[in-house]
Amino acid sequence: MKNYAKSTPEGVRDILFEECLRRRDVSERLTGVFRSRGYNEVITPGIEYYDVFAAGDAAIPQEEMYKATDSRGRLIVLRPDLTPPIARLASVRLADADRPLRLYYDQTVYRSRRELSGRNDETAQAGIELLGASGLRADLEVICCAVDALAACTKRFRLEIGDARLFRALAEKLPLAPDERENIRQKIESKDYAALGDALDALPETVWTRAIRALPRLFGGVEVFSEAERFCAADPALSATLREMRGLYESLSWLGLGDRLMVDLGLVQRNDYYTGVVFSAYVEEHGDAVLMGGRYDDLLARFGQPMPAIGFAADVDALAKTVPAREPVVPEVLVHGAAGYELLAQRMIRRLTREGRTVESSVFETEEEARRYAARRGIAKVVVVDGKAEVEP
Amino acid sequence: MRPLRLALTKGRLEKNTLALLESAGFDCTALREKGRRLVLPVGDALEIVLTKAADAVTYVEHGVCDLGVVGKDTILESDGHFYEILDLGFGRCRFALAAPKGTDFFSGYAEKTVATKYPNVTRRYFDAKGMDVRIVKIEGSVELAPLLGLSDGIVDIVETGETLRENGLCPIEDVAQISARLIVNTASLKLRKKEIETFADRLEAAVKKQEGEK
Repeated sequence: MKNYAKSTPEGVRDILFEECLRRRDVSERLTGVFRSRGYNEVITPGIEYYDVFAAGDAAIPQEEMYKATDSRGRLIVLRPDLTPPIARLASVRLADADRPLRLYYDQTVYRSRRELSGRNDETAQAGIELLGASGLRADLEVICCAVDALAACTKRFRLEIGDARLFRALAEKLPLAPDERENIRQKIESKDYAALGDALDALPETVWTRAIRALPRLFGGVEVFSEAERFCAADPALSATLREMRGLYESLSWLGLGDRLMVDLGLVQRNDYYTGVVFSAYVEEHGDAVLMGGRYDDLLARFGQPMPAIGFAADVDALAKTVPAREPVVPEVLVHGAAGYELLAQRMIRRLTREGRTVESSVFETEEEARRYAARRGIAKVVVVDGKAEVEP
Repeated sequence: MRPLRLALTKGRLEKNTLALLESAGFDCTALREKGRRLVLPVGDALEIVLTKAADAVTYVEHGVCDLGVVGKDTILESDGHFYEILDLGFGRCRFALAAPKGTDFFSGYAEKTVATKYPNVTRRYFDAKGMDVRIVKIEGSVELAPLLGLSDGIVDIVETGETLRENGLCPIEDVAQISARLIVNTASLKLRKKEIETFADRLEAAVKKQEGEK
């Protein structure tokens, strides 16, 4: 049998030194923004019951989840997403807490990806959830927090907003079976204009089929709203949604993002628990969204505590590529204790580190070896403790 | 900012794309005189990377190429996440289910075996039919599998149907229509919308022009 003791499983890896620093740095920048806005950290377990993620529209494809059974045969998974566990926690543990709840997390999630696709199965995510609040104020708070969090890492990002209600409302106008609806949603998601056209050609042409046909092309700046108004005007609910989006877009213009703020009316995510505004952010260094979020007013009801909610998750690993590299720490001083002075050497190290200096302790038998090591390691100063007059490093 | 980068499937799609780019007014001299180079400039604003079909999808998915020209067959098999914004009109053919002449593939309840280079496409097709088939992946000439008695049928790309006929097979049902597509990385479309839309519009106009000439 092949022994795998020397390798890590497909899709996961060790993270060393410089990469660790970057990742911790990004974590700190993001969570600093979250804390400054009154969000409190929660840590949920790495394994959860399968049922947490298997509920209806919020379901995560089961082939993407790492599964096992617990000692009583119940199906458990490595958490593939953080919003459902937090919805569970908010509904059960915090059922009687004062609302709104402002929670943040900084944890890893696990997805089983296609083999050799070059993507990680283990990714670090940091994000917030604002539970028990709806309306423009809550939406603005969370989106502004997302903008601040991104800006804390990089100046060159783009943020786009959309609304899950648009497609939902339009699809309801058409005589579609669930699988046809899903097919059309996929075509909009992949902006496959040709196939979307084919799917819609099979239906009698109405203002609604024309609207859905236009949906994937409706992304860009404020001009998108005037184009969308043409087909939304025929329906009061759609016009209201569009007016809300425009209001949000105009409010967000205040943030000074300029053309880095975009609208995409064809933003229909696979993660179908969103019920209102949805948003994603992109940076040049990464080929996929680095932050995704939205309003999910129906998810909490699944856990027995109906309440509106909105949140986002940032991809910490992807953002780590955008922050400047930091060199791993090289100590300023190497302290070598001569034979019989080992403990005194430790006392000196304690004194120096308490002063805030970075000090390494020599483990070599001779001073000469210690000096050679310091030269290799790039440590500028070697202090020898041998009972002679104490040198001030 | 670097020029827009287009991953282009080598071979037949490459020639057609070249003709389309030239018809759209791009200077493809470097591509015509490429030698062994794999990364070729087309003017200042576009760079072409020559790849195998499945790799074009991979490069676009990861965002190291903004755009790609690949066959719908590769897209269907890859199950990737990207935008597919334009049907380029060439490279037309179809995925079809074929079986030896004179046999009735759909008869009876015994388990059927299907040989294919495209297991994902085949799996989805039979799932949609509610059929439970055994799929065998073959790398080379798939027509051999039923001839040698390994499978009851094949799912493969069919252009004229000549290869099938010569090997005693006949097409039973179309699985999907295929042609070359322009795909775009999701982040690129958002970050470089104007450039990409302008490029896609020029290609679309050239596609229409070519279709008009036919």
